[in-house]
Amino acid sequence: MATRVEARTSMNPLDYDYSSFFYSSSDDPFSILEPYNEWFNAAVPEGYYLFAQAMSSPPSGTVDLTEGLHHEHVKLVNLSSYNYLGLSYRREVIEAAKAALDKYGLGAAGSPILSGTMNVHQELEAALARFKRKEAVMVFPTGYSTNVGMISGLMRPGDWVISDQNAHASIVDGAILSKANVRFFRHNNPADLEKKLKQTTGKKLVAIEGVYSMDGDECPLPELVAVAKKYGARILLDEAHSAFVYGANGRGVAEKFGLEDEVDIHIGTFSKALGGQGGYVAGSQNLYNYLKGFARSRVFSCALSPVVAAGVLRALELQIAEPELRERLWSNVAYMRGRLEEEGVDVGDSTSQIFPIMVRNDRRIFELGHKLLKAGLYLQPIIYPAVAKHRSRFRVSVSSSHTTEQLDEGVSILARVLRDEGILV
Amino acid sequence: MSTSDGMVQYHFRDAIGGFFEFPTENARAILPPELQPIEPHHGSSVLSVMAFDFHDSPVGDYGELILSILVSPRVEPGVPMPRSAFFPFRLATTTRESREHAIERWHLPHYMQDISLTWERGDGHITIHATDRGEPIVDMRVTEHEWSNVDHRYQAFMNDEEGAYTSTIMMAGQFSENEEERGGITIHSQAMTGLVEDWDVDFTPFRELWMKNGLQTFHPLQTLASYARR
Repeated sequence: MATRVEARTSMNPLDYDYSSFFYSSSDDPFSILEPYNEWFNAAVPEGYYLFAQAMSSPPSGTVDLTEGLHHEHVKLVNLSSYNYLGLSYRREVIEAAKAALDKYGLGAAGSPILSGTMNVHQELEAALARFKRKEAVMVFPTGYSTNVGMISGLMRPGDWVISDQNAHASIVDGAILSKANVRFFRHNNPADLEKKLKQTTGKKLVAIEGVYSMDGDECPLPELVAVAKKYGARILLDEAHSAFVYGANGRGVAEKFGLEDEVDIHIGTFSKALGGQGGYVAGSQNLYNYLKGFARSRVFSCALSPVVAAGVLRALELQIAEPELRERLWSNVAYMRGRLEEEGVDVGDSTSQIFPIMVRNDRRIFELGHKLLKAGLYLQPIIYPAVAKHRSRFRVSVSSSHTTEQLDEGVSILARVLRDEGILV
Repeated sequence: MSTSDGMVQYHFRDAIGGFFEFPTENARAILPPELQPIEPHHGSSVLSVMAFDFHDSPVGDYGELILSILVSPRVEPGVPMPRSAFFPFRLATTTRESREHAIERWHLPHYMQDISLTWERGDGHITIHATDRGEPIVDMRVTEHEWSNVDHRYQAFMNDEEGAYTSTIMMAGQFSENEEERGGITIHSQAMTGLVEDWDVDFTPFRELWMKNGLQTFHPLQTLASYARR
């Protein structure tokens, strides 16, 4: 007979995830805090928590930051930031923001539908509408609030939101808030989208992204549009990671595929390629007018700071005036891809400026993250449940502002650490 | 196989499992209101299909097929946390003795026929075929990943006309799990799976689990007072 199995008292933090701490058995809402903090406090000393390390410099090709485990200040090659066109710290952008600070003060001091709309907000919306070739653009204070307000503002109980399974939390939360029925189709799979659409009746919205942030892969837009149209569904395309980057003029994946008119709702953010903050919905004037009343995440938030709006407007102008920024970005992306391939690094299905560096070892990803930090490279670990089990990775974001030397140094550090640790052979 | 403190042990050669998504409204239709389904995506719950090949237990050799829904565990201060929790809603075993044991001892909801379980062990994969008097019930294939020795804690919630219960279940053995989507399942139209037939189950597992040469230990049942109030 086997011996009795003792209950475990020592905790392996990786045996748990956030879903373990969603409910507790008591009537006291605080009863979940102790078990959660037991887990959290076990995770941190093991180095399993490499997030929210404070930076003390702009998100450029190198950064100064305070690393999270020993609180040491370090200078690192930065392959983590979204600043795809290097615009967040461009002199012209900073000057525009400073001028807006002098003119308007720090904040909008009101909801955009009450006292918070300033000239600069209207100028930004008009400039974006011209750029996107759409009747109207509505600006939101964050990218998250854009999808939340857009989807919950339009969809209703009994309607259907059919979304890619890898869609951003803001799409999911917008759908939840709308109280519409929600279904997810398998990632980038038009056949599964069709299967899901076949099961629905009534109003339908298909929500997809141009480029997915965890894998850096593009959506198969022509195939997805064809299926959605076949079933009379409206299409929302979130170009958070592809606007101002993809297409001959930077209008995104929809421009790349020549499908700008087939997509009903164009979403984008200012925090990625433009290096600012906020988001937008581009579409018809009728959609704009309706959302003005029903996009509650905008109605009940303070308007985007005029300082940020002015900086974003200048960044947009620079992006339009300097197509060489995108050329430089794509040249850097090609260079990075070549260097990573030379080193034999697994980058999954990436086709964009985002490269998942596939480690596929959930237990070692944080340890590797620390070794990369010590070696001089800032990369963010991504682990379950943000990605599937055993698909842990580091996420590399390439910017037009990276120098070839910075990219070389980053790849060299990455390859050396992965090789030393037996991830690369 | 019972210890003095009420724990009961079951040794097995292989235990395999697949997690499959299906719409949450179908999960809520059979879950007690106190249990919350785990949702890997909003609106999608998880059907767990597990099969065991027991070789040493209080009721001898037998096979078992379990259909469960993944639910949020009961997390309590000062109590070791379970890795995950299950609400089994349909079990079938290959022998009458094992069925009666599980109903009496653990209040597990059973399919009342002896089923047959056939195991096909291949290179890096394993498949089970469950049938009832020649009628197919479920075919499931699970693939392997890296193996490690583990000692996992789970919770099960049971609910019958006599009350509601929970038990801690320890699972120790060589363990592999992956989310590579290489396995699959066919759920046949049959009395045991009748409930599941219309659930719009995604037949590609988002997680595959496999434990070899393992030991399952049931802790004593606890009655759930909150359920009893209903």
